[in-house]
This record gives sequence, structure tokens and C-alpha cells, in this order.
Amino acid sequence: MQQRNKLLVAAAFLAPAIIAVIFLRIWPATSALHESLLAPGETTYSLENYAYIFSDPVFLRSLQVTLVFLVVVAPLQIVIALALALLVNAAIPFVGLWRAIILLPVAIPQSVSAVVWGVAFRPDGPVNAVLIAMGLEPMRFLTSAEQAMGSIIVIVSWIGVGYWMTFILAGLQDIPKSLYEAVRIDGANRFQQFWYVTLPQLRRPLTFVLVANTVANFLVFAPVQILTSGGPQGSTNLIMNEIYTRAFVSGDRSSAMAATVVLVTAVLAVVLVQFRMMRSPEDKGI
Amino acid sequence: MYLKTFRRSASVIALALAMPMAVTTTAQAQTVVNFLAEAADFVYAPVIEAFEAANPDIDIRYQQVPFEDLNAAIESRVGQGDSSIDVFAADTPRVPAFASRGYLPDEEANRERIEAAVPNPVDQEQVSWEGKIHAFPMWTSTQLLFYNRDLLEQAGIAEPTPTSPDDRLTWEELLDLAKQAQDAGAEWGFTFQQVDRYYQLQALYESAGAGPGLTGEGLLQPDLTNEGWVQTSAWYRDLYEDGIAPRGVSPNQTNDLFINGQVAFFYGGPWTFGRFEEAEGLNYGVTYVPYFEGGEPVTATGSWALAISPHAANPEAARRFVEFATLTPEGALATTESNPLPPVNAEAYEQWREKIAELTPKVGPAIDIITHELQNTAVGRPRTVGFVAFETVMNRVFSDLRNGAEVEPTLQAAEDQLRSQLARIR
Amino acid sequence: MNNNATMVRTSLTVLCAILFALPLWWVAVSALRPENDIFRYLSPLSWGTLLPLNFTLEHVVELWSGPFRLAIMNSIIVTTVTILVGLAICSAAAFALAIIDFPGRNIVFIVMVVSFLIPFDAIAVPLYQTMRNLNLQNTYTGLVLPGIGNGLAVFLLRQFFLGIPKELREAAMIDGMGWFGVFWRIYLPLSVPALISAALILFVFQWQAYLWPLLIAPAPDYKVAAVAIAQFSTQYDVNYALIFAAALFISLIPMVILTGFQRGFSASVASTGGKE
Repeated sequence: MQQRNKLLVAAAFLAPAIIAVIFLRIWPATSALHESLLAPGETTYSLENYAYIFSDPVFLRSLQVTLVFLVVVAPLQIVIALALALLVNAAIPFVGLWRAIILLPVAIPQSVSAVVWGVAFRPDGPVNAVLIAMGLEPMRFLTSAEQAMGSIIVIVSWIGVGYWMTFILAGLQDIPKSLYEAVRIDGANRFQQFWYVTLPQLRRPLTFVLVANTVANFLVFAPVQILTSGGPQGSTNLIMNEIYTRAFVSGDRSSAMAATVVLVTAVLAVVLVQFRMMRSPEDKGI
Repeated sequence: MYLKTFRRSASVIALALAMPMAVTTTAQAQTVVNFLAEAADFVYAPVIEAFEAANPDIDIRYQQVPFEDLNAAIESRVGQGDSSIDVFAADTPRVPAFASRGYLPDEEANRERIEAAVPNPVDQEQVSWEGKIHAFPMWTSTQLLFYNRDLLEQAGIAEPTPTSPDDRLTWEELLDLAKQAQDAGAEWGFTFQQVDRYYQLQALYESAGAGPGLTGEGLLQPDLTNEGWVQTSAWYRDLYEDGIAPRGVSPNQTNDLFINGQVAFFYGGPWTFGRFEEAEGLNYGVTYVPYFEGGEPVTATGSWALAISPHAANPEAARRFVEFATLTPEGALATTESNPLPPVNAEAYEQWREKIAELTPKVGPAIDIITHELQNTAVGRPRTVGFVAFETVMNRVFSDLRNGAEVEPTLQAAEDQLRSQLARIR
Repeated sequence: MNNNATMVRTSLTVLCAILFALPLWWVAVSALRPENDIFRYLSPLSWGTLLPLNFTLEHVVELWSGPFRLAIMNSIIVTTVTILVGLAICSAAAFALAIIDFPGRNIVFIVMVVSFLIPFDAIAVPLYQTMRNLNLQNTYTGLVLPGIGNGLAVFLLRQFFLGIPKELREAAMIDGMGWFGVFWRIYLPLSVPALISAALILFVFQWQAYLWPLLIAPAPDYKVAAVAIAQFSTQYDVNYALIFAAALFISLIPMVILTGFQRGFSASVASTGGKE
């Protein structure tokens, strides 16, 4: 077919999505860029807001906290999601019910999830009650600068793992059974089947999960906002909480927009690296 | 099963579609006033009903937005010149910021009428910015010390029955009693209701003579590292380090500690009476809040005011409603019917006090305490355009102190952060 | 798979499901007990921690007789429309990005990727100003629109379409089928699990949406459940009993739908065969 014709067909398929995405995401985002270049009370563009946030120890700390959080949470969630997907990808009684229960936390308003886990993690709460009943020392959880981030990771993983599991599960069910039979004839054991068939066949769904999971975790903030406000001592001050606080609580929109631009740039860089890493020879483009 | 669910939802959709239509047909001849605030529907229902009965040509449409998001809603709607809001509730410490950004009109023309209805200068100051009135004062708040009689009796502690405001407890005496109660079995000795929040904790620093934490022109300079702040912060930190008060309980869950008999002394406001009175088997009394020896007794105050949006579509109707709700005794009283905060309207307050006086035989002279503190010890939050930024940082400081952070580095870091943040606001 | 292995796998699955369900169970129990009991049995562990000793339907009845019923209907309407319109738009875009080799494809794909990197809350205010100019405040359209062009859903579907053998398409086109026919008759029917996953993305975005509905549709007639639930907390008082009762409704509805979705997955297992 001719190039021009193909372009027209593609345009017809793409037009609604492109219009929606540009009108509802990209265009408002350019106004964020615009605001980030205007220092408070100024009408000419400058980099003053960027200079301010990069000299602000609170913002720098939040960048650092976010990166550490991501390095831990993304691999952790993906491994657990993969393990759960492998577990529930079988004909066991009521399997649909179990899958739905594991997925359910993602449908509950995050404000409610945060309250429930905040209560669970209270120093006088039920998790410590279990620890005490088992003869262990009670822990401080959200009230300690050392344990708060770990507690937040537990909460966001409880919310999200079932969601990521679902995408991997869909990928698993798409692997042709014949591939397993072929390697079994060659005498492959369980692990080899997983390594040589399952993982390579999951490359596309896993790319999706890796990228989407990274983006989602970059943008985590409701549990932080509700449970710790970024504390104790800034130990859980993830960047989205910092941005939200600046924009909607402290009323410093211009530095919040500068921080948003920094965030989007950082996520874009990480995501592009991930695309390169997961690219296979037959895929074109990024 | 499927069919049943479907039929049910279909009937609800029909209902949902019918309801707005019914509203529009009756509302056709009326002027609509859109009213944005944070309180539950039932809080404003009595005053709206009373106003609409007297003004059948006006239809008040109430839109509730949660407290945490009210600021975002006001910024994005009133702040952007949206005419779909006529009246909104303004948290009084935010009046300076709102007024300086032009979200609140100048109400100087009404000064005499406001001063006549609301004579307490503390309440007038709460709606002012740079000497001008910008909103209509509605409610105020104050603090009381609640104690659990059963836990005190169990520890053999004599009830700190209030005789006069002059012999209130000092903090030192209170904490001794709190420890005694704990030794006798109470889980916790003491808690603030609004833990971690500047609103309630400012009074500690003011009572110790350390100041509100802000100084300079327009109160835009942080002042957190003076001796008084360091000492009082250490005192607050030790309250939790020593296990007298609980860590990790959010301000919204402290009421339940008191209701369930887990804490002996509780520092709260009149808004807690609602739940405490509903709790079966809770035997409690109230007295004056403590002060630091050698310092002054100080209590937190301030609450909501009503403001007319400068972009209101129907400013005249909006004005009639706001004046009814704040300047007339019957309207002001109606705003407190389902809400336990005191009205600032003096005539309404006289009627309100009779309602609270009914509690006296059970819990002690709550109304005398409230009246005394409002008139004599109330200190508002700093009147500055930087208040919200300041409060946000301070709430984090208090939370860190409660969790055991070192006092001086915490205050120093907050001071540095505030210095650069507040510099951007001017 | 032999019986022992099934037993072990089933027990492990049930154990995981219980761990995930415990916090939800506590929510349900809290909704069904008197308000003053909610925080009473936290520690030490006792029967009261996980069972409503003084069972009451008071909060559920109170909630269901108030405006929350309308809010949850609004949520259902908005979410359903979002999923239907969003799936149509996103799958068409994904099809073009995966299958049609046209100039500028990379740029379009990058625009899609960037669109889901932008934190929606950060751009809600400028978007609100645009929507206000279009008079979309307090309308279903205003609520639905931000949910329909979902870059993440496009990305997911594109990943899936890339995996469908291109021989199928080539054969069909030789038989005279057009691009739309290929999309409608071949790609969509083969992509049911991926479409369900994409629907899940659209669903979660809209069901969890909070700041946007709060800004665009604060009028009681258009309030959605996530906003309505937040209103049980005011400055001085949080009504946990009503919050938990509302959370119960908000999670029960997806529970029913998700269990149904899982049937879509199971059907796909049956057709391609289990992997062991």
C-alpha cells in the first residue's frame, strides 16, 4: 500500500486518542511548564523557581527518598506479582474469587486504605499485638524514621501487587501450551521451563508492567499524605507529596510546577532506559 | 440475579434523573446562591432552612468540600474568577492570605454593624487584614481539660474541680497526676486532641513566653530557635519519650482513646462534647487547661467566618444570607444548632450558653470555663499571609518531635526552610 | 497436575487471599459495629478485633438512606461510560501504533508515553480552567473526559497487538479485508484478556479519581463516591463508621465485577490450555 494511504488510515484510527491526550494531558502540562518559568510575582521567564528548588534541602531530600523508594519497590512488587500470577494461573477451585480478592485493594479509595493501615501500624495496634502474641518486640512502624518507609512500601504493595499480577496473568495465559511440551520433550525441569519459555514469552507484558509500575510508584502520594505527611524527619517525603504540598497546601504553585517538570523529566529518562533494556531485535522504534 | 441488579439500578437512575428536574422547576423564579464550605450538610441545614423560610425568593445551594481540599477548591474557583461560588467559609487564619490575593472583598462599610453584633476584639481581629475587615465572623473555639473520673478515682486522685480560673493546674502538676493515673492502670496519662497541630500547640509556646514562632514585619520571619521554643519543644518531645502520651495515634483517633477509657486527661475543645455525650458509660469532667509555672494561661481560638466572593454571580442575595447567618441572633444561633462551636454573635452566645449550661451538673461548669477563656486567655494564630506555609512546616515539626527527633536540629531545619519559603511569599 | 500439587497450590492461594483480605475484613467489621467500638479492640488481640461483637446495621442504613446512594450511582455511570468510550478510542490507537507502519509513528508513541508520565493532579487546575470555559462543570461529560484518552491503556494494548502473528493479518488482507475489518474481526476478538486488562486500567483511574471530580463536579447531583466518602471527615471530627460503611459499598461493587472479569481470563485459559 502507498505511504500516503497508510498515513490516512493511521490518522483515522489515532485521531480520537491523539486529540484526547493532547487536549487533556499535554496541553495542560505545557501550562505547568509555563508557570514553572515564572518566578512568584514576575511576568518574564526565568529559571528562578528551578534554582530555588535545587537549593532547597527539603526538595533534594525528597528526590533522594523517591529514588531509594523506587529502587526497592519496583523490583519487589514485580517479583511478588509474578510469583502470585504463577501461583493463581491454574485450575484450582474458585480461582476467580481468589484472584479478585488479591486484586480488590486497588479498587478501594486510597484514603480508606491509608486509614486502615495507619490503624494496623499504630504502636498500640493489631500488628504489634500479633508480634507481642508471638513473643516478639513491638515495632514503631510509621513513627520511626527508620521503619516508616518500609511500612509505606508494605501499604502501596498491598494496594498494587494484585493489579500488576493481573497484567502478568493475562500474559501467562497467552503462552502457547505447545512451547512447554517442546522443551519438556527435551527434558527441561520446572525451573528450565520457567527460564527458557515463560520469561521470554512474558517479555512484552513484563515491559508494560515494569514501565507502568515505575510510573505509578513515582506518582505515589495519597498514603504518604494521609499517614506521615512525609515524616518522620522527611524519611517518607516522596516527590508527589512534596509537589502536592507545595501546590495545594503551601500555595507556592510556581515551585510546585518546577518540581513537576523535574519529575516528568526524571520519569521519562528512566522509562526510556527501560524501553531500551527490554527491547527485542524484532521491535522497531523505542 | 443479573436481572434483579439491573432493575434496581434502573429505578435508581430514574430517581437520580427525576430529582434535579424537580429542583429546577421549583427554583425557576428564585435567585440561586452557591455556598461552598467544609462542614457536613447537617451543620448548615438549619440556618439555610431558616433563611429560605424568611426569603422565599432565594435558593441556597450548599456544596461541601472536605477540609483538606477546601483550599484547593477556593484557589481554583474563587481564585480564578469563577462566578459559580457566591459565599464560602473561610478558616480565620487564612483570611490574610485570601485577602492579600483578592479572594475576599473589603467589608469596611459594614464595620459598625459587625462590631455591634460581635463585640469581642479577638473575634474581630480574626476576620481582619491590615486593619480592614474582609469577612463576617461566625464561630470561635476554645480549649478545656477533660478528665476521666473513673481513672482518677482508681488512682486515688482528687478531681481537679474548677473553683476559679486562678487556681488552674500547672503543666508540672498535671503531668504528675497523669503519671499517677498511669501507675494505677490507665493506658495513657494525657493526650492533646489535636496532636501534631499548631492550632492547639501554639498555646504551649505562648504560655511559656516563647512567642508564636514568627516575628518581624508582616510576621514573615521564623523565630523557632529561641530558648523558649527549644525548652518547650523538649518538653513536648519528652511527653511522648516518657510514654505519658501515645505516639502514632492520628488527631482524628484521639477522641476514641478518651471514650474507651484509655487516657486519663484529654486536652480538647467544645466540639468533642458531641461524641463524649453519646458515649455510654463515659464518666468525665472538665476543668481549665493548665499553664506553665511563671507563664500566662493561654488558649487557642479561632474558627470559621463567612465570606462573599468578589466574583459572586448574585452578590446581593449572597450578602443577605451572610448577614442573616452572622449578624442576626436567630441566624447565628441556627448555625450552631447542629454544631458544638460557640457563635461569636454576642446575643446568640447568650442563648447558646444556656444550651451548654445544661451539661454543668454532669461534667462541671463547662460554660463558665468557655466564657472565661474566650474573654481572657484566647490568643489567635499569627495574622500573616505566610500562615499556611508556616502551619504546614510546623505540623511536621510537631510530628517529628512526637516521634522523638532531636529538638535543636529539627527546629533549626524548620527555621531554614521557612526562611526561604516565606521569602517567596512577600 | 497431580492431586497433592493442587492441594498445596490451593492452600497457598487461599492463604495469600486471606492475607490480602484481612484489612478489608476489618473495614467490613468496623462498618457493622457501633462507632465507639471501632478502635476499642485493637490490642491485645481478641475476638472483638475481627468480629463485630455488638453487630449493628445502623451505619449501613444511615449511609444508604443519605446522598451516598446517588454518589455511588454517579460513580458507576461515569466509570461505565469511561470504560466503553475509552476502550474504543485506546484500542483503535493501539492498533495503528502496533500494526500500521506509517511515518511519524515513533513521535506519536512518545506523545502517548509522555501523557501517562504527567501526574494528573499537577495539571488538574489548568485543565479545570479549560473545562470551565467549555461550560462542562457539573456534567457527566466533564467527569468522563479525562478518563478516556489513557496513554497507559494504549501502551498495554499495543504491547499485546505486537504479539499477534502478522501472518493472520496478511492472509486476511489478501482475501480483501480492509484495515477496519482486520481490527474489528481479527485483532479485537483475539485480544479479550488484553481488553479486560485495559478496562481495568480505565476502571481504576476513574474509580480512584478524587481531586478532579472534586473540582469539576462539586454539586450534590454529580458527586461521585470517592468524593462523597471524603466528606465524612471534617476539620474536628471524622465519622469512621460511615467511612467504613461507604468503603464496603465502594469495594463490593468492583468485587462482583472483578469476579466476573476473572471468568474472561479463565475462558482464555481453557482455549489456549493451561501451561502445565
